[in-house]
Amino acid sequence: MNAESRKKALRFLFQKVIDPLGYKFSPDEDLADFLLDQEVVLEQKHGIPYCPCQGLTKNREENMKIVCPCIPFHRKHFDAMKRCWCGLFVHKDVTNPDELKQIPITEINGA
Amino acid sequence: MALKMLIEVAKTDELIPGGLKAVEVNGEEIVLCNNEGKIYAIGRRCGHMNAPLDLGALEGYILTCPMHHAQFDITTGEALSGPVPPSLENEVIPAGLGKYLQYISMLMSHIKTCDIKTYPVKIEKNLIKLEM
Repeated sequence: MNAESRKKALRFLFQKVIDPLGYKFSPDEDLADFLLDQEVVLEQKHGIPYCPCQGLTKNREENMKIVCPCIPFHRKHFDAMKRCWCGLFVHKDVTNPDELKQIPITEINGA
Repeated sequence: MALKMLIEVAKTDELIPGGLKAVEVNGEEIVLCNNEGKIYAIGRRCGHMNAPLDLGALEGYILTCPMHHAQFDITTGEALSGPVPPSLENEVIPAGLGKYLQYISMLMSHIKTCDIKTYPVKIEKNLIKLEM
């Protein structure tokens, strides 16, 4: 199977999920492309495009919470950062994703 | 060179956007797909394990098989992804089914997901015709 075709398909399918949530793909095209590459590799191995920046556990229920796009499972956390954990998705109003930092959930009140 | 002809297979109002319809022409099983008003025709049998794709789901240009969720590009027939999960290695298997499912999983691990044949579509008035 062709990785480029799959990346295009994932972009198409993810767009339908993230748009109503107020997110868009990172304007950093190189980063987005790299992360999607990793998701294709994970999908080929596990059958599921897991987040490439979060570790899989032996707990299926927990693993389901990091299936990309995992925004609905971490909404408050990601909304506080204006990006998802790996930075593939950012809030629609973000123009410079480099300004956004990863903030551990323990440092975010109410998340 | 074999002569090709246009064969009427359905009417356009039989397929709503996002809809799928199975037809059979000269022994070939085909699925008509309506992607936002544009009609595509693709082989009906999944490139993984032959499940009928007209029972699957169409999301834009991506058709998902109802059996193991392999996905295909309806514009080219290209296989975009294989079955989910690719094996039962990490799955919780119900007691009593372990050995049986292990055997099935071993067999399935040898199955490739192949591209599917597509067919040129022509719309004339309200008729969907395939070039075959």
